[in-house]
Amino acid sequence: MFDLNTRVLVVDDMSTMRKLVIKACQQIGFTNFVEAADGALGWEAINGGSVGLVISDWNMPNCTGIELLKRVRGDARFKHLPMVLVTAESEKSQIVEAVQAAVSGYVVKPFTPDALKAQLEEAHKRLTKVA
Amino acid sequence: MAYTMDVNFLNPFIDGALQTLKVQCNVEARPGKMFRKGTEKSDVRVDIAGVIGITSDAFKGSISIGFPAATFLGIMGRMLGEKYETITKDVEDGAGELLNIIFGAAKRVLNEKGYALQKAIPSVITGQGIEVHHITSAPTIVIPFETELGLFQIEIGIEPV
Repeated sequence: MFDLNTRVLVVDDMSTMRKLVIKACQQIGFTNFVEAADGALGWEAINGGSVGLVISDWNMPNCTGIELLKRVRGDARFKHLPMVLVTAESEKSQIVEAVQAAVSGYVVKPFTPDALKAQLEEAHKRLTKVA
Repeated sequence: MAYTMDVNFLNPFIDGALQTLKVQCNVEARPGKMFRKGTEKSDVRVDIAGVIGITSDAFKGSISIGFPAATFLGIMGRMLGEKYETITKDVEDGAGELLNIIFGAAKRVLNEKGYALQKAIPSVITGQGIEVHHITSAPTIVIPFETELGLFQIEIGIEPV
């Protein structure tokens, strides 16, 4: 599992959902968070440095979660940055698109902290294999 | 002749609401008897509502979820593990997010049946005793729900394109 001091970037245009994701992460044990209200602001935060894990919504104005994922994977500096999508989008075609864009994990809302934890563990395993 | 909504279109929204409230908010909800808006008086006084426009190649319309303030604040309290006394900017987008999750679950089921509903971003409206008008020529269907924290309702108004 991730070092629980890892800086977690939570990206969602809904403040209640950011709170919910942070609460779930706190239950898992994470303590260090930064928030962004859309993908464009999320990209700024990633470029600001020290983000070790991104948990993002899909549907957002300005820059969606999938656009942010593609931007992250297209940049050599962040190619292996773990990024998990937590989204209400659960159609097969969308999951396939996310997997093809090298998403680290995919959680469909409504979700439990356990479901998020399982995806984070998978994301960490993938990261460890790459390293 | 007015368009009559297929119950198979409504059921995924009911299932989505029950599942969303249970998993995300730890709230058990029970659907009541649905009715055409305007034919019966709703028992739900709506103080906050989330609204999503429904678009597809075949349908257009909208869906809303409406709560009395006390019910909404109780549900947000359960979801976020905090106590809320009034509807503030901090929590009001929760109405849109709950509807977004319900819509996402229903969209997956309906699109497997060929409805081709598109993604949408929700809006939130607040006010005391507000009414959401769904701009369609077809009747709007109201689905009331009962929970231990109070009542809420979902309204769906769609018509063929």
